[in-house]
Amino acid sequence: MSLRDAGPPIALVVIFAVFAALSPQFRSVANVQNIMDAAAVLAVVTCGITFVLMMGSIDLSAAGVMGASALAVALLVENNRNGNDLGLLGIALAVLLAAGLGALSGLALVLLKVPSFMTTLGVSAIGLGVATLMFSGVQPNISDEMLEGWATGRFLGFSGLAWIALGCVLVGWLIQRYTRLGRYAYAIGGAEEVLALSGVKVAPFKVAVFTLAGAFYGLGGVMVTSQLGAGLVQAGKGYDFAAITAAVVGGTLLTGGRGGVLHSAVGVLLITVLTNGLVQIGVSPYWQGGVQGLIVVAAVAAAVIPQRRRNQVVK
Amino acid sequence: MTRMSRPVAALFSLSVAAMALAGCSEGSSTASGESGACDASDVKLVGQVRNESNPYEASWLDGGDAFAQSVGLKQERLTYDGDSTKQQEQIRQLLAGDTDCLVMNVLPNGDADTTPIVKGADQAGAYLVTQWNKPADLDPADYDRWVSHITYNGVESGQQIGDALAEAIGGEGGIIALQGVLDTAAAKDRFAGLEASLAKNPGVTLLDDQTANFSRAEALDVTKTLLTKHGDKVKGIWAANDDMALGALEALKQAGRSDVAVVGIDAVPDALTAIQDGSMTATVSSDGPWQGGIGLAIGFCAATGELDVKDLPADNRAFFAEQFLITDANVGDFATPKTDESDFECDNVFDRVAGPLS
Repeated sequence: MSLRDAGPPIALVVIFAVFAALSPQFRSVANVQNIMDAAAVLAVVTCGITFVLMMGSIDLSAAGVMGASALAVALLVENNRNGNDLGLLGIALAVLLAAGLGALSGLALVLLKVPSFMTTLGVSAIGLGVATLMFSGVQPNISDEMLEGWATGRFLGFSGLAWIALGCVLVGWLIQRYTRLGRYAYAIGGAEEVLALSGVKVAPFKVAVFTLAGAFYGLGGVMVTSQLGAGLVQAGKGYDFAAITAAVVGGTLLTGGRGGVLHSAVGVLLITVLTNGLVQIGVSPYWQGGVQGLIVVAAVAAAVIPQRRRNQVVK
Repeated sequence: MTRMSRPVAALFSLSVAAMALAGCSEGSSTASGESGACDASDVKLVGQVRNESNPYEASWLDGGDAFAQSVGLKQERLTYDGDSTKQQEQIRQLLAGDTDCLVMNVLPNGDADTTPIVKGADQAGAYLVTQWNKPADLDPADYDRWVSHITYNGVESGQQIGDALAEAIGGEGGIIALQGVLDTAAAKDRFAGLEASLAKNPGVTLLDDQTANFSRAEALDVTKTLLTKHGDKVKGIWAANDDMALGALEALKQAGRSDVAVVGIDAVPDALTAIQDGSMTATVSSDGPWQGGIGLAIGFCAATGELDVKDLPADNRAFFAEQFLITDANVGDFATPKTDESDFECDNVFDRVAGPLS
């Protein structure tokens, strides 16, 4: 990381230190575990959205895709609604469904030339529709021990979900750093025309990026199901904008071409620490929303100061 | 195409739209026919709620179906995904059709959404019953076809579960409160009820109150945070709805705590199961299936002339309906949502009036 990227990590350390000084409970081991557990789902979703943002596109489909995968997984592993007990295969199918919905966003974008803003909003609605159909009035509760264990089991102090999130960030970083998909995602966001002129067919890569993002959201939906013990249509509610916020706070630009998975992971931690810390130091719930917004804006402002001359961040 | 074509087309389409609008308003002003003159078989029943992905609202529509079946009709089920614009659009489309014997049982998305629904229905001459949300200064008594507004006393339900929680922890110890969306009347009233309960139970202390926005997932995170903050001092969790209570239960499970009492409101199926297996203490039911049936029943009775809207007493036009505290003592009666046909007979439709709105 260059000096230009140091803003968000510094902000994270400062905010953590301030809360730790104000509240002894905040700096307890149990609370750090809480923060990691709470950050896990958002980290996985943000991983996915980061690739889309790197291309300079936007993705608002997370809520719907997560809902669809949450219901799918709840109905495929051992549950109270039907006799299915597919275990890992069920999880894989749910993630596959989510990847399919992601591919749909990408295809609509490149084939129908509909802006990603609209296609993904539409796909979100499709996902919620699919989820509502599968829900059909009765909440599926899971009894699959492996999936429940993701949320409750601990390894080296952290829950299974936290380790999965860590794995996702690592995989995301490897894809971004070492594969053609990752490099081209950057390049599309930086200068799509240049890439096209040099003979690269951009469209398949765009579809692939949306598919990858969909798969990450799908895993996020599965993780929410593991946490709550039930498949909820609203499993992804709020994650779409929370993930975009986290990515931007971490230093990924909405205009594309800058940032990345590690930046976004820092952004996720910043947001989660903030949410947790404000409760721990006892800020009134009536004030929290506003205070949180203020700190986020301040953190983003601090993060982009080194880039201010680059017109794109202030547009 | 010439250069003039676009403005001309715009003018043309505008005038067409104006004509269409004029046609509409003419149509609706003549629509209100004689009150209560409908044949039972001509009545069209419509139930509208936010979405069917929520067990409570799904059971509401099922109750509507049950009533419709009991009078040999079908209910049209409408959902608007919590989107005010979509709700208004659906209502407009309904009111543009044949409205003389139309009966609507509507859950307005928010207080502000009720006014246009009421005015539209009244102008079109459709029979309307609304539930939950209504601005305080809007009164059904001022309208001919807005038969009733039904709601529930949130202060009372908040207090009921507060008292049940106090009893469950032996009248002594710390509790935490999970509030709903802070700017809603439901969240405010229910929390006021908790405060009233705390005043009555001096041994119980409120350690912390936070909002989890009525969401199961948010409640999970907030509860985990509060459990590390207050540790063993937490003896009970008061949640402003069952979704949050269920999130809190999950957090307790993950923290390995089984010594904490949890209460919620709404009586969703998962909460009832939790009460049955002893992990949850109490919830409050507004009886969704009854709500779905009763709104249509009141409108149906008015449309067929069995109820004379003008003669209804004020506390039948806008009222708090009875609600039920559910604990392990009576959970069996509520485990399978069902409706009782006799509740919907025109003589009985106001049996559950618990008091006038104040």
